[in-house]
Amino acid sequence: MDQLFNIDLKKIFTSSAEEALERKKNFDLFLKTGLPNKKDENWKFSDLNLIISKNFKQITFPDDLKFDKKIQFINDFDHNHITLINGVYKSCDLRFEEKDKVKIESLKSLDSFDTGKGNNLFNLNKALSSGGFSLEVQKDYKCKKPIIIYNYFSSDLDNKIINNSNQIMLSKNSELTLIDYNINEKSKFFKNTFEKINVGKGSLLKSITIQKTKSNGYFYKNISGTQDYNSSYQNFILSSGLKFNKIEINMDLEKEKSSCYILSGLCLGKEEHQEIKTQINHLAPNCKSYQKIKNVLENDSIGVYQGKIFVKNIAQKTDAYQLSKALILDDQAEFNTKPELEIYADDVKCSHGSTSGSIDEDAIYYLMTRGIKLPVAKKLLINGFLNEIFENIQEEKLKTFLKKRIMEQVDGI
Amino acid sequence: MKSGELKNQEYKYGFSTDIENFKAPKGLSEKTIKFISELKKEPKWMLDWRLKAYNRLKVLKEPNWQKPKYPKINYQDLYYYSAPKSMKEKPKSLDEVDPKLIDTYNKLGIPLNEQKRLSGVAVDAVFDSVSVATTFKGELDKKGIIFCPISEAIQKHPELVKKYLGSVIPISDHYFATLNSAVFTDGSFVYIPPNTRCPMELSTYFRINASETGQFERTLIIADKGSYVSYLEGCTAPMRDENQLHAANVELVALDDAEIKYSTVQNWYPGDKDGVGGIYNFVTKRGACRGKNSKISWTQVETGSAITWKYPSCILQGDNSVGEFYSIAITNNHQKADTGTKMIHLGKNTKSKIISKGISAGQADNTYRGLVDIGSRAKNSRNYTQCDSLLMGNKCGAHTVPYIKNKNSSSTVEHEATTSKINEDQLFYCNQRGLNQEEAVSLIVNGFCKEVLQQLPMEFAVEAQKLVSISLEGSVG
Repeated sequence: MDQLFNIDLKKIFTSSAEEALERKKNFDLFLKTGLPNKKDENWKFSDLNLIISKNFKQITFPDDLKFDKKIQFINDFDHNHITLINGVYKSCDLRFEEKDKVKIESLKSLDSFDTGKGNNLFNLNKALSSGGFSLEVQKDYKCKKPIIIYNYFSSDLDNKIINNSNQIMLSKNSELTLIDYNINEKSKFFKNTFEKINVGKGSLLKSITIQKTKSNGYFYKNISGTQDYNSSYQNFILSSGLKFNKIEINMDLEKEKSSCYILSGLCLGKEEHQEIKTQINHLAPNCKSYQKIKNVLENDSIGVYQGKIFVKNIAQKTDAYQLSKALILDDQAEFNTKPELEIYADDVKCSHGSTSGSIDEDAIYYLMTRGIKLPVAKKLLINGFLNEIFENIQEEKLKTFLKKRIMEQVDGI
Repeated sequence: MKSGELKNQEYKYGFSTDIENFKAPKGLSEKTIKFISELKKEPKWMLDWRLKAYNRLKVLKEPNWQKPKYPKINYQDLYYYSAPKSMKEKPKSLDEVDPKLIDTYNKLGIPLNEQKRLSGVAVDAVFDSVSVATTFKGELDKKGIIFCPISEAIQKHPELVKKYLGSVIPISDHYFATLNSAVFTDGSFVYIPPNTRCPMELSTYFRINASETGQFERTLIIADKGSYVSYLEGCTAPMRDENQLHAANVELVALDDAEIKYSTVQNWYPGDKDGVGGIYNFVTKRGACRGKNSKISWTQVETGSAITWKYPSCILQGDNSVGEFYSIAITNNHQKADTGTKMIHLGKNTKSKIISKGISAGQADNTYRGLVDIGSRAKNSRNYTQCDSLLMGNKCGAHTVPYIKNKNSSSTVEHEATTSKINEDQLFYCNQRGLNQEEAVSLIVNGFCKEVLQQLPMEFAVEAQKLVSISLEGSVG
């Protein structure tokens, strides 16, 4: 591990001697066990150690990076924005929101992050973190427009590692749609992100992850959060295009009537490997969780879904659902899934379903008898397969934008 | 661990037979293995095989990923061989068998006298570490079918045993399989010659009687080209306040166009209401569909044991081969089960079907853990999995952990699972028609399990249905 990670901790900016010590401690902890491999149940289907050591000879810490790209904003719909460059908070523009209702600043301390225990990437993140942002929506305020986080990266990031951490808090009765938009092209680097979420009483957080184009990035993101009474968290994952991506979501439904939705539509191509791992903990009665994971796999891509629903004995009347579906288009592609249920309450409705296979021949035949050519028929069906996840997005312009993204990916097949 | 009889009304096979035993020295060692091998008059190759397994065992670690945890087993505090003294010299006919043993089997409802038996079932009765008697041998011999204790097969049919023993479960497989390979005592051996349909059900009845012993049986079934056999397995043990280990290995081999149907009704002593005593049932069962168009079907009704930990699996090597797994696992009081199957698709056009029903009551924990793996060469393969769990009360748990891997664009995998409690409307409907709460639950549960119960041979289906109701007695209220 020492050879792979050639990092001089002294070069990392630290504000105090204590912090430097803390970083050193965490880095040593990380080096002790290194990157997780498939012996770790959580990494059974994605051996990170193998993936990274196969693709990187040496990983270094980015210092002295130049950023000379022009920042281009999306103009399909009105939105506020935050700009992050190489994971570090640069600026924000909240032009559509009332003053002082949404607070965004650079993340100062990682003290409140304590959920990653037992995860060695968390130690790595704590050792090398270059910050991130902290976002807070004041109580009773419903954001008028979505906020897009523009994630820009320098072009000389090859063989570098980026560690950042973000914190998102929604106070009582607030609402926010947050779009995590990644723009990176050629550089081959490893990004390790930890995110902490609190969804307050009666609040709604919609979080959308999109990848602009194909890229050489190797990403890991860990989201852990808690939900209060009658709150709702909805996560849409459309991150196709990365070489490797693992998104891990741990959500605690702590109070009654909270609900959690995780929806994903991925279209993976050559040498792409993506994993979605979820753990939804139903800790109070009357909560709902709903997960729908859709993968289209072509070439030698690998899609993985590991989902776990945990229902505590007091969490009666739980309604939990998991569905993972994969369309495998090539014989080299692979879909692995482990939808897990751990249930200790009896008055619950918990179910899961999982299917994988090729495109339905009958459906293709039906379309072809109506004069639609084979490639068009296939695309039509794949599009329909993926678009199913957008039911929960009401905003028309945003929906059209997301559908367009999916369409572009399907066209690339 | 202290041995002593416990009183429990519900487990009706809990008596023990007072019989003088002949035991191997306590503890696991090369000496014990040599002792067992010598006693069974085994050839040298068999002893070497056992010792190879023992050497492998020394470097293996006991697995600990399973859901039900148990206190550490002291392997040096167990007897690895125990047999009634009268069985030291194998009796030549049933007349020479100790009447106490025959009585025991009569009491269990398994008369060894051929005239009294249902004519359709041949039985091999295993008592602790030895086979007591095998019925209907003459009739089976006529067809060329070999059905005998495995210790006899090692002597009489060494070429078959050498060829197939350990070919499905290699001696280095995992801790308990390796332990079994080193110290296995008895079990059944079945060979069905080509193009033969076995005229009757073959069955083995396992009985643990002695205390402080482990039972390590080994079963090997070979169905040659174009043959068919249906095999049943039943098991019971006396009520004791100690935990006893049962680590068996079962290997099935189906060649071209052959079919093996393997049914188990497992009713080991489950321990008392407070979770004291009971059998640890850590069994490795695996079948290989080696030939084209072969089929292996596992059916299990798991109602007993303090801990059940087993995954009867199918390796679908031959093209067009079929694997099936039907399971009912009922856990009540403090029982724990971690069971399921593995379906490994390697050949083209292979099919597998998994139906699993888990029922959890009292403070029990019931886990379905399964693997469906479709290899890249297994074109046009298909799997369908359904696992349903029923929970009674909020002190028990039901868990589902399926692993699904698909590496093939022409194969289809479907999996569905549900967890729920007994439908109030259904209960109300039954109550309204005069059934009391327990009868109603029994009826609904039997309906819930119907898909699996249907797969059992007739003689067992009736018994299994009763067992399902009895196992849940006292869980409603």
